Amino acid sequence: MNTQTQLAERNTGTVARKGDTQVQKGPAIVPAVDIYEDVHGITLWADLPGVSRDRLSVHVQDGNLLIEGEALIDTPEGLRLHHAEIREPCFARAFSLSADFDIAKIDANLSDGVLKLSIPRREEARPRRIEVSVG
Amino acid sequence: MSDLLFNTSLFDEFDRIQRQMSSLFSGLPSSIRASRLSTFPQINLGSTDDSVEIVAFAPGIDPAKLELTVDKGLLTISGERERVQPESEGRSYAQERFVGAFRRAIELPRDADPDNVKARYANGCLTISIGKRETSRPRTITIQ
Repeated sequence: MNTQTQLAERNTGTVARKGDTQVQKGPAIVPAVDIYEDVHGITLWADLPGVSRDRLSVHVQDGNLLIEGEALIDTPEGLRLHHAEIREPCFARAFSLSADFDIAKIDANLSDGVLKLSIPRREEARPRRIEVSVG
Repeated sequence: MSDLLFNTSLFDEFDRIQRQMSSLFSGLPSSIRASRLSTFPQINLGSTDDSVEIVAFAPGIDPAKLELTVDKGLLTISGERERVQPESEGRSYAQERFVGAFRRAIELPRDADPDNVKARYANGCLTISIGKRETSRPRTITIQ
């Protein structure tokens, strides 16, 4: 299996973001992820509670995969917050993708606040067994 | 809100590391009714004049497996989150998401009415609204 694939985490700090074209709205929560790789590619699950489909953006630019979401929770008027374990309703996390992934075929699925991303490998980058013929 | 210190993403990053570290030492004794740092689900609590509002951030759970009880002023949210099973053999690079059974208890204010609880699960958030008793609502008293 190819050990060169890198899905290394990128610095999501504000300093790194300054040069970016994307406007960062403010501090964000780094969502917890599970990352799994098999022969077909990488599957990534990210916890994004409260994020609806229209408030989620999955973006690939210059080999970087950027997941951004905004949680929106219906609250009644005049709510006073007493205790908050989630303070920022924004989620953001970025990863760098190596060239052997087919970014055109990334499949994203959001259900019950969990994003599932399937990032397939390019056909030519898939591991294959070479038959040795005896002759 | 006094979240000046927590406003930087560096602190969010620390928070995540701390959560991971604390999960390594979870065998150590902690406060009664568990206030480990790596709590799941995370909970926000607020109130209005008529109700107590609780949001539990519990993504990826079958609502049928969520259990919500109110007993003697203690609201308990419990359930279980299963590990997602990948379809084929491979290897795992990150497993940060919570897996397993969880239980969180919240002490309700005395004026909360246990007979008037509404709960809804949407987008991975459990929203609970508990009405307040009529007698405890704020009112202005007219002076004669």
